[in-house]
Amino acid sequence: MKQKQLQMLLKKPASWLAEGGEESELVFASRVRLARNIDGRTFTHCAEASELESVRDQARDALMLAPSMKDSIFLDMNDTTEPERMILAERRLISQDMVRRFTNRGLMVAGGERLSVMVNEEDHLRLQSFEPGLALREAFDRVSRLDDELDGCLEFAFSDRFGYLTACATNVGTGLRVSAMVHLPGLVHNGDIRQVSDGLRHVRLSVRGSYGEGSEMVGNFFQISNSITLGLSESDTVKNMDSHIRKVLEFEKKARETLLKEARSLLEDKIWRAYGILRNARILDSREAMELISAVRLGVGLGVVTDTGLSDLNEMLIMIQPMHLQMLYEKVMGPDERDRSRADYIRSRLKAS
Amino acid sequence: MICQFCKKNIATIHFTNVDGNDVVKIHICRSCAEAKGFDYLRRSNFEKTDLLAGLVSSALPEKAGTRMICEHCGRTYAAFSKSAGLGCSKCYDSFGEDIAKVLKRIHGNARHLGKSPRRYCTEKVHARRRIRALEDELRVSVELENYERAALLRDEVADLKKGMEKR
Ligand SMILES: [Zn+2]
Ligand SMILES: [Zn+2]
Repeated sequence: MKQKQLQMLLKKPASWLAEGGEESELVFASRVRLARNIDGRTFTHCAEASELESVRDQARDALMLAPSMKDSIFLDMNDTTEPERMILAERRLISQDMVRRFTNRGLMVAGGERLSVMVNEEDHLRLQSFEPGLALREAFDRVSRLDDELDGCLEFAFSDRFGYLTACATNVGTGLRVSAMVHLPGLVHNGDIRQVSDGLRHVRLSVRGSYGEGSEMVGNFFQISNSITLGLSESDTVKNMDSHIRKVLEFEKKARETLLKEARSLLEDKIWRAYGILRNARILDSREAMELISAVRLGVGLGVVTDTGLSDLNEMLIMIQPMHLQMLYEKVMGPDERDRSRADYIRSRLKAS
Repeated sequence: MICQFCKKNIATIHFTNVDGNDVVKIHICRSCAEAKGFDYLRRSNFEKTDLLAGLVSSALPEKAGTRMICEHCGRTYAAFSKSAGLGCSKCYDSFGEDIAKVLKRIHGNARHLGKSPRRYCTEKVHARRRIRALEDELRVSVELENYERAALLRDEVADLKKGMEKR
């Protein structure tokens, strides 16, 4: 039964990916997480197996009762295989760390993967919410509502002075991490990305490349997150992030405008070449595929390319990851075979649309 | 920005490591970076714990509290300072004022603002928070020699405290 549910979940990418939202041409997704721990229990990294088990069961029982989590499934990580966990990690539903350290861990996922909870990750509970486009407030409201529903059923570790107590001192206070995954080809092209990310760091937001396999920047995708959780309220954290990100998007839009004005034919040539390669290549490694999809995504945003859309491209970015490809083709593949399958998959997606 | 490690030079290297949703920020000068081998770390996927160790120990005088231990979970202060990881929620009490210093170093602030569990949402807690905020403002007023404002604040704090005793 559980296995079937997991298969169903993994078969199709999250529905929110295709939905589009505010600023979705520039913002791939918004993501918010809250870290919570159960009072009086040892934190995960110091806990013995029996304690982990009982925290997992306690958390699961509370989650089952939460109205936000109705129609969700609970996955006991003990029952999952490594490839399954790798797919969950590629979906950003669990961390890389949980792929390796999975004993007595759990994951609860509610409809459409918008809301999920990791159990016994670094903290006892990590409530996580995704939204397409720029919708930090909506994503925050959703996790916060679940937090309220759990409060009472679970007694969260909290102190008047330091707020919600977390396993790592870097998350204490609100336990809140707000992130936006943004697509900034314009700023990368004109070189302003450096200045923009320095500016963001100055206001204590962090910037990193995202959706690569490591933490390096690929395909002009970046993840911007808050780094402070103590001394700033949740709504101020969300508001700050929102206004800074909107500023970044303004810069990106200006950069795109300038590009179009000054080098329209060059830019169009680059976009159409990328599109041509995606539709015809027989071998694509994931880095090249991401760079090309990034260029076509820019083309869609500028109205240059009209016969494919953001939702197709967003889904492709998820599906071309190594484990997703192997799931799709239902076999274990080495890197070379994956590169061929990746090209096959992309060709079939772009022909069909 | 000043280097987090020597606290003398200007930090010219800034980087961030993110693992899942965890963000660790480092501001470090060139000479400290070389001494600590961070140039290498920056390129590879370094261990978060190594880095946090630097953060925590740099926030504290060398020998402070090394013998402290959390009676509830057995976590030693030494282990905490190696990783910034606490053993249980009681550690935050067990490690005394040192933890406030560490938190201030990491977040630039050591006082929670924001949500709290329902069981903490009593009138008494609200009053206590209000008092703390007023006391902070009072300190600033005194520093700025705005004694008129300070006097008003002092009265308000006194009233609130009296109110709490009655309850
Ligand atoms: Zn230094
Ligand atoms: Zn402890």
